[in-house]
Amino acid sequence: METRLALLARKGDQRAFAEIVELYKDKIFHLAYRMLNNRHEAEDVVQDTFLRVYKNLDRYDENQKFSTWIYRIGTNLCIDRLRKRKPTYSLDAEMNDQEGVDGYSILPSDDRTPESELLLSETQQLIRQAIESLPAKYKTVMVLRYLQDLSLQEISDVLDMPVTTIKTRVHRGREYLRKKLERKL
Amino acid sequence: MDCKHAHSLMHDYLDNELAPDQILLLKEHFAICPTCKEHYDQLERTELMLFGTKTQHLEPISGFVTANIMASLPKKAKQRVWLQWVKNHPAITVAAMFFMVMFISALSFWNQDRDLMVKGPDLDKLIIEGDKVIVPKGLSVAGDLTVQNGQAEVYGEVNGNLTVIDGSMNLASTAHISGQVTKIDEAMSWLWYRITHLFSEVSYR
Ligand SMILES: [Zn+2]
Ligand SMILES: [Zn+2]
Repeated sequence: METRLALLARKGDQRAFAEIVELYKDKIFHLAYRMLNNRHEAEDVVQDTFLRVYKNLDRYDENQKFSTWIYRIGTNLCIDRLRKRKPTYSLDAEMNDQEGVDGYSILPSDDRTPESELLLSETQQLIRQAIESLPAKYKTVMVLRYLQDLSLQEISDVLDMPVTTIKTRVHRGREYLRKKLERKL
Repeated sequence: MDCKHAHSLMHDYLDNELAPDQILLLKEHFAICPTCKEHYDQLERTELMLFGTKTQHLEPISGFVTANIMASLPKKAKQRVWLQWVKNHPAITVAAMFFMVMFISALSFWNQDRDLMVKGPDLDKLIIEGDKVIVPKGLSVAGDLTVQNGQAEVYGEVNGNLTVIDGSMNLASTAHISGQVTKIDEAMSWLWYRITHLFSEVSYR
């Protein structure tokens, strides 16, 4: 159905494109918010994602699932931002199972208000912080797997990487989060 | 099965990618190895917590709606909007074009013809004086009578519609008109007259 909308949008149908936006804006926002932990940046990513989709409709391959395509665009935009944010940050630095460094302090703070903060339970905050502290390449697969509910195969399509790589990352990400959340488990 | 093997299997199990016979082996190991069992339980709870955050409500900044996103897109496709509309509504477009053509031709027609024009049967029996068209007493016109740019004076009978376009009409007490009497003196109503007549003509054909 999204493929059909995309083909209509390609022909210039604005309403079809609006439907695509309606279908995906929340999903992409959640993805970006979990990846970046910042509302403004997440909204920018949503805007940029749709802009890119719009400009590249001609290049969309209709044999590919539309969701895979739009997730790829959104994910890449998030990864780009993470990269710019921490150019010297080693992705695997924290995967050495040495948790001496508290990852949170080096991350940009979110613009969450104290009130909205109160609405989140302590556990939920802990999970958020744990996800936030994941190195980018693990964060990406974990967000796609658990917050966007994509299958391993779908993640492999989105990131254009072998399923075995995705599997390894999910396993390592899981272990990392287990350690982070240990006192809550 | 050793703990190392069990460890790799428990991740596959969480990924739903473990064959039934291997699940059995893994469970057998759990039964004899509390460390692996606890490890697995922690991973499972981690996963549940992760899935749990999915339902967490996330409110984007107000006004972050489809319309705003649409408005932020480049305007290059804007010119194509009307064309797209045409493609989507071929019937309405054809009708609109038809009315436009009608409107233009009818207007020019209305502007052009300033001379007296009389249309109907038995024209030779009518009395025409200058721009005055008279249906004399005792005369029965066997059909519709149309007078344009003139004055219609009816003393006799019209067995049909009497239409006066951009003129005046004077019906005597002896006049008898079996059909409708219509006076048109504006471009728009002239247009309307043309259109309705065109449609009735078409539909009767
Ligand atoms: Zn483990
Ligand atoms: Zn064991």
